[in-house]
Amino acid sequence: MMNTKRLTSLMPTAALVLGTALTGSVLAKGPALEEGHEYMVVANYPNNMHVIDLQTDSLYKSCELPDAFGPGVTQMAPDGKTAYILNNHYEDIYGVNLDNCEVTFHASMSLQKNERTKSIFSFAISADGEELYAVQNPTMLYRDHYRVQPSRLAVYDTGSGLDAKPVRTFPSPRQVTVMQTGEDGTLYMAGAEIYKVDASSGEIDVAIPGRSWERPLYAPPDVLNAWPIQSPSKDFTILYTTARFQDESYDLNTADWIYGFMNVDLETGETQTTDFGPITEIYFSGILSPKDPNIVFGVLNRLAKYDIEKQELIGAAELDHSYYCIAMNHDGSKVYLAGTFNDVAIYDADSLEKLGNIQLPGGDMAISTSQVFIR
Amino acid sequence: MKHLKAINNKAQLLSQAVADDSVEEVVAMSSLAGCTATTDPGWEIDAFGGVTSLCQPMEADLYGCADPCWWPAQVPDMMNTYPDWNKDAMNSKDDWRNLGTVFPKDKN
Repeated sequence: MMNTKRLTSLMPTAALVLGTALTGSVLAKGPALEEGHEYMVVANYPNNMHVIDLQTDSLYKSCELPDAFGPGVTQMAPDGKTAYILNNHYEDIYGVNLDNCEVTFHASMSLQKNERTKSIFSFAISADGEELYAVQNPTMLYRDHYRVQPSRLAVYDTGSGLDAKPVRTFPSPRQVTVMQTGEDGTLYMAGAEIYKVDASSGEIDVAIPGRSWERPLYAPPDVLNAWPIQSPSKDFTILYTTARFQDESYDLNTADWIYGFMNVDLETGETQTTDFGPITEIYFSGILSPKDPNIVFGVLNRLAKYDIEKQELIGAAELDHSYYCIAMNHDGSKVYLAGTFNDVAIYDADSLEKLGNIQLPGGDMAISTSQVFIR
Repeated sequence: MKHLKAINNKAQLLSQAVADDSVEEVVAMSSLAGCTATTDPGWEIDAFGGVTSLCQPMEADLYGCADPCWWPAQVPDMMNTYPDWNKDAMNSKDDWRNLGTVFPKDKN
């Protein structure tokens, strides 16, 4: 009698646990991605990685991630199958097989006991997909004080599984944020300058001067950069703001206030520093159009579109709320806005008309980076 | 420094750094050892002295700024000491009322 009673009282709990487990596993497995299809990946609270089908502009599947969220910065492997994500409060990088949602790679940024190491949006995958690069910022936590350690560039073999350790480490400049790799294997890192790194020797050079730029009558650039966007045109684009003085009196009251971008063409290694218009509002991220290299888009409270050569705003769309992170499909016909809350907004790249929203299960995307890719 | 006397280890390190002329070795931190080490002002004003280029609504910017210690004055240190501050508010625009204040725990 006693046993039956106990069993009955346990049943609702058991059913609830089973129900939760089933929902979880159905959500996690989902369908494999289809070869040749175009998708977008983005992460959100509490621990989700979503795949959106860009043919239908609908949610395709959602994978559950281990550990805590933040920042949710993603990088797609060149095979269009493995998505890497910096998460767990900036302390761990995971590789997720999007076909079956399995975690196939994990590297803790902290390399020793008592070390707390954060990577500030700073990781990238090599063009052949075999190596992962991360700039790590360690702090040693002692009983009565902390010691900030030198920053380092850690190189991982992406095949090293769930307890990956660096195969090489090199000293790194401090304050490095977003990174991308060129087709020829060069690693580009955005910090005080846009650095160019030989990831086999650790040798560092300046690809595009930032803090040390020498443009007559220009103030030093101001850069915000938290979204390492892998653009369809293979451009690594970094927006800057600056002031251009009228003459050598350097009078700020008469200066022109300017938006521009630094760009590395990841296919050729060609670089440019180009002004594209006056500052009238703030953009958190920008992208060059894959179909017209004379067009650049910027986003925060509006989606804005500039003619680079004419340095003119040629269109803008009011948004329902701020979006941080911009992406475009490969034919350059649509703009996808992500980050902040839990909806992705879609705009026509030509007319800037709104085409719709995709609601994501879960909470805020916050500062996550969305990536468009072809499987 | 002539009116101040170092009485603990940290202060002695500072005095020593000044005495050794090694102040130049002090470098900007790339990652924060605690959000209180940063001094970004907050959500009050945009780059133009107005508010139109602040994120809209403010909640849209909340976790993007709280996660990396961007606006430490207004929100708990989610990067280090209060990583679960928003555990009952995954969706900031609907759940923001569940976000509370935090206090250091007593050390027993």
